[in-house]
Amino acid sequence: MRNTVLRLIGWRLVAGVGVLWGAATLTFLVLYLTPGDPAQAIVGGENAAPTPEVIAQVTAEYGLDRPWYAQYLSHLVRVLRGDLGTSYRLHTPVTQAVGEQAGATVELAVAAAVVGLALAVTVALATAKRRRWIRGIASGSELTIASTPSFWLGILLLTVFSFGLRLFPATGSHGFSSLVLPALALALPIAGVLGHVLREALEEVLDEPFIVSARTRGLPDLTVRLRHALRHALVPLVTMSGYWVGALLGGAVITETLFTRQGIGRLLLSAVNAKDLPVVLGVVLLSAGVYVLVNLVVDLLYLVIDPRLRDVPAIARPAAEGAA
Amino acid sequence: MTTTRMAAAVLGAALLLAGCGTSDGTTTTTTTAAAGESTPRAGGTLILGENGQEPTCLDPHGNASSDGPVTTVPVADSLVWFGADGKLQPWLAERWKVSDDGLTYTFTLREGVKFHDGARWDAEALKTNFEHMKDPATKSPLAAAYIAPYEDSKVIDEHTLEVHLSSAYSPFLDILAQGYLGMISPKQIKEAPQTVCEHPIGSGPFVFDKWTKGQSITYHKNPDYNWGPKGAKHTGPAYLDGLEIRFLGEDATRYNALVAGEVNAIDFTPPQNVEEVKANPDLGFLTAVRPGHPMSFWLNTSRAPFDDVKVRQALLASVDRPTIIKGISFGQYEVAQGFVTSSTPGYAAGLEGTIAYDPAKAGRLLDEAGWTAKDADGIRTKDGRRLTAYFPIDPSFPAQRMQIAVQTQAAAKKAGIDIRIQTPSTQEVSDRSLAGDYDLASGLWATNTADVLWIQYSSKNITTDKRRGQNVARLSDDKVDELLQDARETTDAAERAELYNQAQARLIELVPAVPFYNDPRPVSFQKKVRDLAFTPAYPSPYFYDTWLDG
Repeated sequence: MRNTVLRLIGWRLVAGVGVLWGAATLTFLVLYLTPGDPAQAIVGGENAAPTPEVIAQVTAEYGLDRPWYAQYLSHLVRVLRGDLGTSYRLHTPVTQAVGEQAGATVELAVAAAVVGLALAVTVALATAKRRRWIRGIASGSELTIASTPSFWLGILLLTVFSFGLRLFPATGSHGFSSLVLPALALALPIAGVLGHVLREALEEVLDEPFIVSARTRGLPDLTVRLRHALRHALVPLVTMSGYWVGALLGGAVITETLFTRQGIGRLLLSAVNAKDLPVVLGVVLLSAGVYVLVNLVVDLLYLVIDPRLRDVPAIARPAAEGAA
Repeated sequence: MTTTRMAAAVLGAALLLAGCGTSDGTTTTTTTAAAGESTPRAGGTLILGENGQEPTCLDPHGNASSDGPVTTVPVADSLVWFGADGKLQPWLAERWKVSDDGLTYTFTLREGVKFHDGARWDAEALKTNFEHMKDPATKSPLAAAYIAPYEDSKVIDEHTLEVHLSSAYSPFLDILAQGYLGMISPKQIKEAPQTVCEHPIGSGPFVFDKWTKGQSITYHKNPDYNWGPKGAKHTGPAYLDGLEIRFLGEDATRYNALVAGEVNAIDFTPPQNVEEVKANPDLGFLTAVRPGHPMSFWLNTSRAPFDDVKVRQALLASVDRPTIIKGISFGQYEVAQGFVTSSTPGYAAGLEGTIAYDPAKAGRLLDEAGWTAKDADGIRTKDGRRLTAYFPIDPSFPAQRMQIAVQTQAAAKKAGIDIRIQTPSTQEVSDRSLAGDYDLASGLWATNTADVLWIQYSSKNITTDKRRGQNVARLSDDKVDELLQDARETTDAAERAELYNQAQARLIELVPAVPFYNDPRPVSFQKKVRDLAFTPAYPSPYFYDTWLDG
């Protein structure tokens, strides 16, 4: 068992390094091949009038005049050393730029994940195998919310709760009250999808013989659902973690912009617009890293949830990549 | 997997941004809150909702964002103050003398001024600042170009600096009044230049506290401040204890944040909300037309079809600019009458009304230019070629400019000109701009002198392999060059005015652009905000005299 787990972790780490290298390479290529002179991006803009001396300084300082492979290699070497370079646009180290923004995004993502998971689990538990109309309403609203774009939900929440009722501030990252609306905007679509999947899983489980036997032992409905059914229904939830972690990262871009919050999403957006290669690389590497980590944790969670898997060789295991 | 998702998310957000756009508000009338009789009261923190053009660097010399000055002027004072009447007044320079040939400026500096880190303001400090602006390591996107003729300077004594220019440059002092050329502590420039972007140290009425990127900048009062500009209403420290600038990119959010009381004032009031602000008894309104070049569509004069002046004149005559501008700005924007805005010193008011909407004239001009035939779509042709013009538009384009582009396209089509609006990526737009591969391009340039015409239309400013120039129209006209160069070099104000007058008339004949509107800076605020003002050199909110009532 211990060997299996170690091998699993080993393989995952090897794959993870591959993913990170791929991410670094791909982003480099994409940004290198898109047209546009980074030197102009660094000191350009609608109202800018950089002198030739300034352009020359920038080109030399950032090594932009070197061939692509030299730029690529020095990028990889720096990444290996944990140095993500200096932002073209912000003139600060990328690690600092990302570090300044990471806290706010983590705060938002964790809040959204907690709210989304809690909503999904509660609604699924409460509505699985209930009357047809209850399930109909739950399922209908889940699908509606899941297919509503985040920014539209965000605008709706802003209009009602911030501009209308004035219950929550519309902007900023100051404390709990400013976290409520963005977290909801990010959490609701995730809760919609997860709730839907979770209820279907619960409904399947609730038909199993062991549930029937538990009920015949006289256990109350709630206990049956919580103690016996939920454990089985958790497998699809964990399997879908790839999806919802992705949804959290991607959704942060829109949510942070809409609610004028700090965060990595906005940092990435402005970096892409400004062709700020080091920052884009840094953020992509960070999110690839998060992905690798999440997949590793998911694999380990499978072992906890389903003890039968512990005896299967790690490589033969179905990968828990999720829907993303 | 991650990359795809992130890319998709970025794309989604970019589309969202493009869809929502940003906007600038306006009106020519200046309304201030009914001034109370009460005397200024010290205390409180003012929160300003700024648009989303957050600077990437808070070194005044290191940014070119239109939000740059509003964030740096609280911290960094300027050498001179540009009055609302266009006259220069002393600030950190007590007085100055210009040599007859316009090449030597001798500044006598104010005494007793101290930077926030204790460094002293003296001739050496001014010299250090000039050198910092010019130093390529500063990577100045604007200030370096504005003082391009600066050669060197000589410290005469502790409070006197002699500055040498390589060529006569009449806008020199006016430019120095802009927030982009504010003064930074020489100690910081010498000892830790890399910190200026993140944490600028100046001598201003407010001390920089913290920059929470993507969100806000905070400042606190400088209790020792006693060197405000002569144009100010009071002396001594600022009234406000603190100042916070929050970046609220979405127009609706910014306006609603003001109405809901989350912020005390907002910059760039969305034009669709200006009437609501004026009708709201709890709010006040302040606006100024930004000096410089109006928002225009530049016509690439270096290639067909706009290399033919008659085609350019025809396009200008075919567009009903007042109707378009009234529509897209909810009646808030002032229609441009030429190639500098009405608030720019040297504006040729006598030329007002010269540009007129005249579709019949447009037709005649195109006939004269040889575009006599028409194809099945009603587009004019010459020797089998269609009269087509390409207009690459950046995805981050403000929605209003896009509306102007679409309505101009419709008007041009009636005259038989086929404007093709294209929406490639930001980088492609930028590349094509450098390569001169466009027929129309849009933009504006805010600066406090008519030298903006030299920036935009001197043949010296056409982009080449070596240098990025701002002559987007790629206009090369000997007479324009001569008039603008002479205006730049003369030390005689009356002569300069006359030269600019002639240049503006000549440009209206040449039509290097279709000018649309004079860009305003509309600020709205709660009534309790008193004495909020603009720095006229580059209109942006200025908080030295501002106080909070109750």
